[in-house]
Amino acid sequence: MIRFEHVSKTYPNGTVALSDVGFSVAAGTIHAICGENGAGKSTLMKILSGLELPSAGSISINGEPVRPDSPRAAAALGIGMVHQHFSLIGSLTVTENILLGQEPRRGPFVDRAKARARVLDLAARYSLDVDPDAKLATLSVAAQQKVEILKALSRDTRILILDEPTAVLSPPETEELFRRLVALRESGLTILFISHKLKEVRALAQQVTTLRAGRVSGDAPMSAISDDEIARLVMGEAGTSAIVRPEPQSAEARITVRGLTLRARDANDRLDAIDLAIRPGEILGIAGVDGSGQRGLVKVLTGACQPDAGMIAWDGKSVAGANTGALRRRGLAHLPADRFRDGGSRRLTLTENALAGAHRNYRFGPLLKPRAMIETTRGIIDRFAVRCPGPLAPLGALSGGNAQKIIAAREFGSNPRFLIVDQPTRGIDVAAANFIQDQIVALARSGCAVLLLSADLDELLRLSTRIVVLYAGRIVASLPNDPELTPARLGPFMLGLEVAA
Amino acid sequence: MIDLLGLVPAILRVSTPLILAGLGVHVSSRAGVLNIGIEGMMLAGALAGVVISALTQNAWLGLVAALLAGAVLAALLSVAIHLLRADLVLSGIALNMAALAGTTLALFALTGDKGISSSLPSLTLPMVRLPLIDDIPILGPLLSGHNVLTYAGLLAVPLVAILVNRTPLGLAMRAVGENPEAAAATGVPVLRVQVTALLISGLFAGAAGAFLSMGYVSWFSQNMTAGRGFIALAADVMGFGYAWGTMAAALLLGTTEAITLSLQGFGVPSELLQAIPYLVPVLAMVIHARRRKRREAH
Repeated sequence: MIRFEHVSKTYPNGTVALSDVGFSVAAGTIHAICGENGAGKSTLMKILSGLELPSAGSISINGEPVRPDSPRAAAALGIGMVHQHFSLIGSLTVTENILLGQEPRRGPFVDRAKARARVLDLAARYSLDVDPDAKLATLSVAAQQKVEILKALSRDTRILILDEPTAVLSPPETEELFRRLVALRESGLTILFISHKLKEVRALAQQVTTLRAGRVSGDAPMSAISDDEIARLVMGEAGTSAIVRPEPQSAEARITVRGLTLRARDANDRLDAIDLAIRPGEILGIAGVDGSGQRGLVKVLTGACQPDAGMIAWDGKSVAGANTGALRRRGLAHLPADRFRDGGSRRLTLTENALAGAHRNYRFGPLLKPRAMIETTRGIIDRFAVRCPGPLAPLGALSGGNAQKIIAAREFGSNPRFLIVDQPTRGIDVAAANFIQDQIVALARSGCAVLLLSADLDELLRLSTRIVVLYAGRIVASLPNDPELTPARLGPFMLGLEVAA
Repeated sequence: MIDLLGLVPAILRVSTPLILAGLGVHVSSRAGVLNIGIEGMMLAGALAGVVISALTQNAWLGLVAALLAGAVLAALLSVAIHLLRADLVLSGIALNMAALAGTTLALFALTGDKGISSSLPSLTLPMVRLPLIDDIPILGPLLSGHNVLTYAGLLAVPLVAILVNRTPLGLAMRAVGENPEAAAATGVPVLRVQVTALLISGLFAGAAGAFLSMGYVSWFSQNMTAGRGFIALAADVMGFGYAWGTMAAALLLGTTEAITLSLQGFGVPSELLQAIPYLVPVLAMVIHARRRKRREAH
């Protein structure tokens, strides 16, 4: 149905994102596209959805050559895209978001009744239930994704592109999404599914195309290819490394939390009498569906806000009232969940991002020593294998995985005594994820106390010494991470069906 | 001490340019363009109205010229920020300075006087007696007999609210103002929406300028806007992003100014009184910030 032929994309700055990409997608299938961050998956989909033009090559749909030069033109061809970072607007209602740019009119006005009916009709047709009148910002991430999917389906869509759709979802939400996608395929839609989670590709796709460094490295029906082969095609020679769960190095807790309570309107911030102890050398994993209080826990532990009740102690001494700066001087490091909003600045250079905070070590009187800073950053780029144009490129020019490496290098390099890592590998490729996980384990082994929050249960089970499950701001289970602990065992706790406190 | 009822006409007179300019700021802000140049657009409108009404001896043509002058400067600002990619704040400030100097130069070239245009035989826009309401005792004289632009400004509030909330353009404006990348990905023509909003903003600025030079007086003087454009910017912020809120804020600011004017006869030092219109926005922002803080905490 869709055919890519010799598609290449070279950016004005000389970066080659795609070279000579060619493959076909059969109608009515789910076709997975796998590759590392920076392999060119997103660029290819941007070309198909009209956000970017190819430098060379051609695309045809049903034999007709097409060249969408705007999202509108792509929509007219029946192509709809679900972006990884949603293209939704928080203050608008669900209906307004879905029909933005194609709203039904009555004279000079938006016909609200008709718009609402159209959204309900659309939701019923694809059995994606949404509240048409809800303000978008009040919805959970999973519900927002439904809105994004409905928006992509709202214009007679025949081809649906999903870019890393599960990166923001919890396991039950992911299962739900997969059921919907299978139903959509059965209704005749062609789905392009971008992912680097092999399990998901295996569960959904009929065909897989792998990209590496802008080229097609493999293209095969799922039935004819093993997971190991896909992994090899995606990552080249490197394989997944097994990780041993680090052991605590002392019985004394470094971080103690007692009765921590945060009253907040947003469920994501709400905490209810949390007790935790993190010992040096151990990784404490926090599991829970999105919005169970993880954000509030991070806010309080990093000093971004003060709890309404309860206390936090470092080495047995209370740190009440300490702000982020004071905690960082004690040895706090924090790798935030949103790497571009809280982790770094897109507009600043890699050097500035990598050395922010440590920049005081590069002083020459009142001035900074730029050359020394650039040299250090070059070292980080080499050591962390960051794919980038150079140490003076803006952070925003990097793919998510490479940007995360730069921010991780900054946080891990500060010799932390307590490290909080929040979704450290969300939306980044396997190689970068393995690397960052190895670094986290290495820090724990060197005696750092680590708190790991992750929506990826495999990650939690691979790294954590113990796992605590949050549900509605409360601890519902605290389990040693032994071989008997499985996602299936954690699931009921995460959904609040079971409590073992 | 103060006859508040008697102040109503003064309040409306002082508030009218703030309401008109405030709505102008509101429209462009919704689309994500803070119109810092509103002050300069008002000045240009004020002068254009005086000159054209004097030349044609038709007040309505003067008003049309004022609206156009505002829109032309808005188009100029749009060229600077959208085509030449200049900084919005710098361009706006440059526009204000250029408008102040340009109107003074034009005034001098036309009248030989750098201060005031009283030698030009310019006209004023008419007062409107509202039928029926005019006959109501007490209320009638308060509500009727104001300048046509005062009524236009009050009428424009619901119209702007409808434009922003109920029309496809308004929806596009809100989308563009909050998240231009997302709007573009949906196929909303971001540039066209912002230019349109800025032009509408310029028309409102022109009307506000015309009220200053053609509402109660029939002359233009150097820098006659005297910072009202900036107070209109404050009115928009204080209005929480709603047209009605902008109007309420403009009326509040206008009321304090009117009270200040009327208190000057009571022996209170006028320097202190003149500070009031600047203190009120500060106070309003403090209240606003505290309310928002409280709301975010819970």
